[in-house]
Amino acid sequence: MSRIGVFTCHCGENIGATVDCVKVAEMCKDIPGVVHSVEYKYMCSDPGQRQMQEAIKEHQLDGVVVAACSPRMHEPTFRRAAGDAGINPYMCEMANLREHCSWVHEKGDATTQKAADLIRVLVEKVKHNEPLHPIKVPVTRTAMVIGGGVGGIQVALDIANGGHKVVLVEKSPSIGGHMSQLSETFPTLDCSQCILTPRMVEAAQHPNITLMTYSEVEKVDGFIGNFKVTVRKKARKLDEKLCTGCGLCIQKCPNKKISDEFNEGLGTRTAIYVPFPQAVPNKPVIDLQNCTYYKTGKCKVCEKMCPTNAIRFDQEDELVTLDIGAIVLATGFKLMKTDAFPEYGYGKHKDIIDGMQFERLASASGPTSGVMKRPSDGKEPETVVFIACSGSRDRAKGVPYCSKICCMYTAKHAMLYKHKVHSGKAYVFYMDIRAAGKDYDEFVRRAIEEDEVKYIRGRVSKIYEEDGKLIVMGADTLMGGEPVVIKADMVVLATAVQSNDRSEELAQTLHVSYDSYGFFAEAHPKLRPVETNTAGIFLAGACQAPRDIPETVAQASGAAAKVVGLFSNDELTREPIVAVVNRQAAPVYSTCVGCFLCQGACPYQAIEQEEIKARSGEVIMTLARINPGLCQGCGTCVATCRTKAIDLQGFSNEQIYAELMTL
Amino acid sequence: MEAVNQRAKELLEKGEIKAVLGYAKGTGHVRRPHFARKAGQVDQLVLDAACLQNLAVYVTKHEVKKLGKVAVIALPATQRAILQLMAERQLRDGELVILAVDGEAVKELDSAAALEEHLALKAQGLDAKDKALLAELDAMSREQRWVYWQNELSRCMKCYACRNSCPMCYCGTCTMDCNRPQWVPVASHGIGNLEYHAVRTMHLAGRCVECGECGRACPVGIPVHLLTFAAEESIHEQFGQRAGAKAKLDYALSTFKTDDKESFIR
Repeated sequence: MSRIGVFTCHCGENIGATVDCVKVAEMCKDIPGVVHSVEYKYMCSDPGQRQMQEAIKEHQLDGVVVAACSPRMHEPTFRRAAGDAGINPYMCEMANLREHCSWVHEKGDATTQKAADLIRVLVEKVKHNEPLHPIKVPVTRTAMVIGGGVGGIQVALDIANGGHKVVLVEKSPSIGGHMSQLSETFPTLDCSQCILTPRMVEAAQHPNITLMTYSEVEKVDGFIGNFKVTVRKKARKLDEKLCTGCGLCIQKCPNKKISDEFNEGLGTRTAIYVPFPQAVPNKPVIDLQNCTYYKTGKCKVCEKMCPTNAIRFDQEDELVTLDIGAIVLATGFKLMKTDAFPEYGYGKHKDIIDGMQFERLASASGPTSGVMKRPSDGKEPETVVFIACSGSRDRAKGVPYCSKICCMYTAKHAMLYKHKVHSGKAYVFYMDIRAAGKDYDEFVRRAIEEDEVKYIRGRVSKIYEEDGKLIVMGADTLMGGEPVVIKADMVVLATAVQSNDRSEELAQTLHVSYDSYGFFAEAHPKLRPVETNTAGIFLAGACQAPRDIPETVAQASGAAAKVVGLFSNDELTREPIVAVVNRQAAPVYSTCVGCFLCQGACPYQAIEQEEIKARSGEVIMTLARINPGLCQGCGTCVATCRTKAIDLQGFSNEQIYAELMTL
Repeated sequence: MEAVNQRAKELLEKGEIKAVLGYAKGTGHVRRPHFARKAGQVDQLVLDAACLQNLAVYVTKHEVKKLGKVAVIALPATQRAILQLMAERQLRDGELVILAVDGEAVKELDSAAALEEHLALKAQGLDAKDKALLAELDAMSREQRWVYWQNELSRCMKCYACRNSCPMCYCGTCTMDCNRPQWVPVASHGIGNLEYHAVRTMHLAGRCVECGECGRACPVGIPVHLLTFAAEESIHEQFGQRAGAKAKLDYALSTFKTDDKESFIR
């Protein structure tokens, strides 16, 4: 006969106000197998836990039911306490009287009865519990950071400085990300490149960091501490060891009219190129779509010019498989394009640009060398209109969320424009000014008060072209919705921040969850903001939600701290809540029939084939076996198995049956 | 018939196979399964319109596997069942020789690939009678259908003939025989019968080769085959696949795909 103790918690008023805990504790004494039942105000407190531990010893309990909050909250607490008192931690179960009862019902006898029933169910479960032992797995102390923007660089540097190896994977030819494209940064107006490039160089030269630029993650197998990541190193078509980065090939490339991605289409580049002069690594790459040799089979000018003979036209993509212990996603964002707005001319006006294009126009390294020239005719714009919330907070046509960075960068843009064109007029159409952050509101006030940027609260309904001017038709809602018409030379749309291209695909490759906009989901919005629901995979920056630079860098350091913490263990312990295929004595061996329908059902590729061999070596049967390191305990295979050959430890068929049958 | 028997005899004489599984005359018009283990016994084999049973049910049996390589005179439904059994790894590729009678000609199919190719040429579909019965059930309201099955299943005495005659019910330990815990009650009362047939249907959904053997096997004439047929047809409609058509397992109901949008979850 079991000797089970029941400990009912009031959770202060949370349970106690709705459920008669004293009565519940009294009722539980009558459940067969229960030898001890008490209630207490806060079971999770130190005296509460001690009370439980003393009872375990005094009454020689072999199982414990704590009737309190959700097991997600305090199961580890009580299991640890039970373990310290000398019983197997997995002989302790929690009945959720808070979320499942007191919070969702009115005070009354029925509520109290339900609380008692919930406990009865768990008592039946504990009777069928088996002692379980945590699974130990080794840790590979190498981290992979996916995305080489400012977030990824920060994560990589922090982990590397913590003494661990880091592989930094970036899909484009250089690290640096969006920050390398910015002209100045808010709220200090310091030059973006000047603060970023030293970090880029530091990352490249750090002995613990391996850079893999122009590379993409193809496949991720394994689990926390033991991932196997396959990375595709795209062919640069040159030998990086031989290339000195002299740039002669770029100078001599005859194909010079290719739209430049780094300059957001406002400039041109050659077919063999480095994205920008400060690129890290400073090694060119051949653009296969535009290279004359790959289109016509003739040219090879770069090969002839190269002083070190580094060009390799026959170079192929390379697949590299790496052992990785933890992964940090820092893949960043993209901006909605101007062609998404019918009322603003579907992007067909050259002088309606997005925020990133303005950054390039304002940047000293940009196509105009930082001189304000509008894209259509190169004229200095005398009037510029900035439209905030272009696509953001727009349920009808854009995204419902706030893109967060636009209020600040619009103020910055208006300011930069005024600093460059003193006689110019800058107007900002806005919905609200969201300038929450250190020195942020002061920054916006400075734009309005010192730089005389005209802020107009209202939306712009239409923009059309007339006599070389853009007619901006808006409304001033602080003036009773009075129509405002501005003849502008250039319009800058603060378009919505969106999740990066292929982020859903990447999330599926890594088995992490994502929201309906393709942003990666954190494990808990408040308490676990840098972790994903997949153990060993962390988040940093705008791949999770719109973020500015300070937040991205802070989160990056947070993610790095998580990784370094993980790597401080020699081995990891995992919950033994995994599926197991039964094994029996010969000649049955198992009720598994080896149909392997479960194999396709497993989302974690945890199901392997095991051959049962006779002494002669002859294979008697092939059965399913579940790798406890890979299994996440989701139970899909359990449901798929027709013969019930698979059981989930801690949630076995017998336990669930007993739970149901007691009701 | 002549040709297939001739070929079977040759194979037996050459020692390439240990037995031929086909049909022989039983009582009255009934045809019963027959294993011819010597060339002399082959003449007892018959093949006519009265031969209905799905012989694939025997080939997974321990006793048959022990014989060695066996040739099966296989009707299309038997062929589909054998291919599905290969996909589910209950038969090794090349473990059997399938003798498929196609008009006058005899096709000898000795691999899963050959079987898949052969079956791809045959249109699979229900016969008119079953189609009509399914349509009739479909036309009923949910309540009427419930009453219909309650009524039909009330005659079930859980003899498990439907299970035992089914080539896809090859599990060593059937869930129905699992008694720790006893999820499905043993007794043949209303709820127990319903649970049994619901479980059987779900276990065969996506795997049923639509031979109708279960319905023929039922001693009290319950059209149990309509349950699995309905499930199978629904899967065909929604996933565009049928059991017993592919040598590689592609089980609609449990294949995890990362690009599944799960749009049905709301």
